[in-house]
Amino acid sequence: MDRKPTLLAALLAIGLVVTTLVVPALVSARPAYEIPVANVDNSTTLDTVDGEGWDEAPSAGVSLSSSGAAVPGGDESTIDEVRVASARTDERLYIRLSWADPTRDTSADDVRQFADAVAVQVPVNESARPPIAMGSTDNRVNVWYWNGLNVSQELLAGGPGTTTVLSDSNLESNATYQDGRWHVVLSRPLDDVSDNRTSFSAEQDVDVAVAVWNGSSMERSGAKATSEWHYLALGPGPQGPPYETILWLVAGLGIVFTTLVTIEGVRRTRGE
Amino acid sequence: MSQTDDGTDVRLADGIDHQVAMVMDLNKCIGCQTCTIACKTNWTDGGGREYMYWNNVETKPGSGYPRDWEEMGGGWDEDGEERTPGELQSKEEYGRAWEFNHEQVMYEGSDEPLRPMEQPDWGPNFDEDEGAGEYPNSYYFYLPRICNHCTHPSCVEACPRSALYKREEDGIVLVDQDRCRGYRYCVEGCPYKKVYYNAMKKTSEKCIFCYPRIEGEGPEGEVLPPSCAEDCPPQLRLVGYLDDEEGPIHKLVNEHGVAVRLHPEYRTEPNVYYIPPFAPPQHSESGESIEAERIPRSYLEELFGPDVHEALNTIERERAKVERGEESEVMEMLTTTDTADQYRLEVFD
Ligand code: SF4
Ligand code: SF4
Repeated sequence: MDRKPTLLAALLAIGLVVTTLVVPALVSARPAYEIPVANVDNSTTLDTVDGEGWDEAPSAGVSLSSSGAAVPGGDESTIDEVRVASARTDERLYIRLSWADPTRDTSADDVRQFADAVAVQVPVNESARPPIAMGSTDNRVNVWYWNGLNVSQELLAGGPGTTTVLSDSNLESNATYQDGRWHVVLSRPLDDVSDNRTSFSAEQDVDVAVAVWNGSSMERSGAKATSEWHYLALGPGPQGPPYETILWLVAGLGIVFTTLVTIEGVRRTRGE
Repeated sequence: MSQTDDGTDVRLADGIDHQVAMVMDLNKCIGCQTCTIACKTNWTDGGGREYMYWNNVETKPGSGYPRDWEEMGGGWDEDGEERTPGELQSKEEYGRAWEFNHEQVMYEGSDEPLRPMEQPDWGPNFDEDEGAGEYPNSYYFYLPRICNHCTHPSCVEACPRSALYKREEDGIVLVDQDRCRGYRYCVEGCPYKKVYYNAMKKTSEKCIFCYPRIEGEGPEGEVLPPSCAEDCPPQLRLVGYLDDEEGPIHKLVNEHGVAVRLHPEYRTEPNVYYIPPFAPPQHSESGESIEAERIPRSYLEELFGPDVHEALNTIERERAKVERGEESEVMEMLTTTDTADQYRLEVFD
């Protein structure tokens, strides 16, 4: 048997495997919709927005658009991006949000005043993706909410207009406003074993969505800027779900297979 | 919708057993604000409610409370199906509480008169008695206003959380304080501006039609009419249920058509009705009465809609009857001093 085609095929295969591993990394540094979660030992370095722990947590840009909710102003939101970073210790999950807002709205003392606010939404059941607009009756969401009055609340919702404050919350928050940007850290124990609360097994990725309200534009309730579903990369593996890698691998194997078949075909035609 | 014996329709909101209602006779209002104070001492004395007047009395024509509320939108479109969005007023438009020089006058020996520290330039009923028209035919009247506990309340519809609701037993519109998250869509959604934002509690609040009083929750357990009605010196308010066919409210509103709604074009179907004001005729330069109405009909129509003409015509006819010594059921009901007729709150128990 002539060894050349086999060698060629083997080289091709190696090349493709290398491409499979390298190209995705070149195409996008990280899968779209992923919020990386850094492992940090010392929780005190994550408690505040400028804690050192955050140096280890790369942030992802999450784009926002009007929620389109059926309230006045439901399609006129003003904030269009929030940077989201996440980190975990053995006990707690931290999310750090930062967004540009030229007006710092921290009062609701007048009838026409509303405070800036931010919220993070996660499914109550970590492995089921709920409808993006506050979940549904049979697929509910937990919401971690903070506003410029320094109110932080853990909420449960099963559809628009249903948010209910959860009592005995272990949610903690820290916020600063600097150079036209809000920076807010929200954290909660990973495994909060009470009813209606997401329990993060930290063994799988968990969906997450973000909302931001600009008080000076009278944003509140469904008048807000919201993201699509992203996911917190809590699962195993270097980074995030492997689907992009799998796609490249399938394509690569496909090419190798086709090449081999072609070579074999040529050989047979030649009567080798 | 319920059909009464005499064939007139009483439209109740869906799912409501009965509907509380009030008739206010504007011909009796002396603008004394006793109702305002009665409500305030009961319900809005403090705790972020200082600026609120669930009951207010404003001079008409005038800007009212909050200032220019009639231009702030809210309510429903012409078909009564789509809400028209309204606006929010700042506290200034309601009238901030003024700081007085109590300290200086009472404790520091100042001999200045007691007065606000700053020059006030707006407040509830700030344009009291200004009215409109030219001497000798200037005119004004007083308009007491509370929440109308509407049949088709746009405040209820405005809330994305269903924090506002109409009570099943009597149609009173209430704000569930546990559900309210202070979004204020109800404040902008009510065209009468009768939902108020409590900046201390960060929730909305409003007239409760004194439900603990009408439920007999008072000290002696007796059923009492709302405070604003009971404390009114000229007793201009009748209180009862719109669907109580034997009561004066049903008769005045549905049978005789002399009690009309304020701004029916907002289409919330208010359940507070007004006997329109019947002013003395105009005077000539020399002080003679002339055949011309002092309050322009067009203005009354702006406030109470086209039904005001029929209402005023009927009142004129009924007054003439009394002048001729004849009986008038309408005038009977409007002048009774029997509290059992004025307040019929136990008919459905
Ligand atoms: S008057 Fe305003 S607050 Fe009262 S029921 Fe009607 S819409 Fe609601
Ligand atoms: S009914 Fe009661 S709560 Fe409502 S305005 Fe009158 S006194 Fe105030």
